[in-house]
Amino acid sequence: MIKKELKIALSGINDTDNPGPGIGVARSLKDSDTSITTIGLSYDIQDPGNYMGFVIDKSYILPYPNKGWEAISLHLKKIKEQSGLDMVIPNLDAELPLYIRYQAELAQDGIKSFLPTQAQFDLRAKEHLKAVSDNLGISYPQTHKVFSIDDMRKALKIVDFPAVVKGNYYKAYIVQNLPDAILRFTQIANEWGYPILVQELVNGEELNVVGVGDGEGGTLGLVAAKKMTTTALGKFWNGVSIGHEQLLAIAEKFVKQTSWKGPFELECMVDGDQIYMIEINPRFPAWVYFATALGINLPKRMVDFVQGKEIDRSSEYAAGKMMIRYTYETIADVSDLSHLATQGESRG
Amino acid sequence: MSRVEMMAINDTGFAFDPMSGESFTLNETAVEIIKALKVGKSEREIAEALSELYDVEALDSLTDVLDFIKQLKSFRLVD
Repeated sequence: MIKKELKIALSGINDTDNPGPGIGVARSLKDSDTSITTIGLSYDIQDPGNYMGFVIDKSYILPYPNKGWEAISLHLKKIKEQSGLDMVIPNLDAELPLYIRYQAELAQDGIKSFLPTQAQFDLRAKEHLKAVSDNLGISYPQTHKVFSIDDMRKALKIVDFPAVVKGNYYKAYIVQNLPDAILRFTQIANEWGYPILVQELVNGEELNVVGVGDGEGGTLGLVAAKKMTTTALGKFWNGVSIGHEQLLAIAEKFVKQTSWKGPFELECMVDGDQIYMIEINPRFPAWVYFATALGINLPKRMVDFVQGKEIDRSSEYAAGKMMIRYTYETIADVSDLSHLATQGESRG
Repeated sequence: MSRVEMMAINDTGFAFDPMSGESFTLNETAVEIIKALKVGKSEREIAEALSELYDVEALDSLTDVLDFIKQLKSFRLVD
């Protein structure tokens, strides 16, 4: 019997100091099955993943998500025609709403995906996290939705400084005083619009869980980790695996209650027995390869699950293992960049 | 099981709490106390053992043990 070689496209191959999850996802797939062809979907010809042939076999430049689904869909169809394409794993927040909305259309085009439903995706909006947290029996920091600086001033009188000023989907800043808060309010509103959320600052350690829900209330595996070092943007840089049973039980409960389908990351603050929900990301996080290295290869399990294969769903891993990120250099010829710029795809 | 019972400690005094991911550096006496707590010894038994090991008064030793356990409690490592 000839084994079918899977061709899987994935985005988020910006392996920079604000790393996208794509390289971790691709590396996880390659580690488990070298016959898989990884196709990078990039929005920038200078994304490092476009030049990392050891993990991304071929890459294509896509139009930005703000150009709408049709533009992306046309590119995916072209890639399918040209290289073959079995499945797509979108990994960037900005494109996820489109992929989620048009997942049925993707399926009609013969491209598989494994994404949350629209209703599940909506749950992660920060304005709904209080209800999600209540259902899970954990806390959510006191949060006020504001639409003006005057509203924010009133909210800050209640939550007091230091506080967190954040966008409904993106960006969060700790603010110490009103001028600082006004600056951040304006920056976020200009970039991402309204509402702006004013939130109390909670103490504790930031602990995260990565997992995949099977869409029927079960998980394909879970791993918890603590951030030890973060980038200036608060992204996971170094971390350590942990066996926080309460947190893992909450992740399982979340999947069960919501019948979550697809990858997710729970970001929580933990202060003793008090657990605060901070964010739910409806995708793999950039540290997903850490879970793979611990024996819980979530991208591969997800791909196998979609293919209808029997998979290992265990979440047995060692606590006390560290993930250390580092920077490295790879050298390419400028003609590689030129090929990407003019042809919209890598030579691979 | 308390967190101190799950704690991994090596001979150089590095301790790792697998639940929270926190790590601690312990001196020699602290290592002895934690190892004893992990096997369920009482505060008095630990103090007696330390008193013999370091040749100090039992009462001083007990005070030190209780102080240290108070610190562990502040880190929520013991109940």
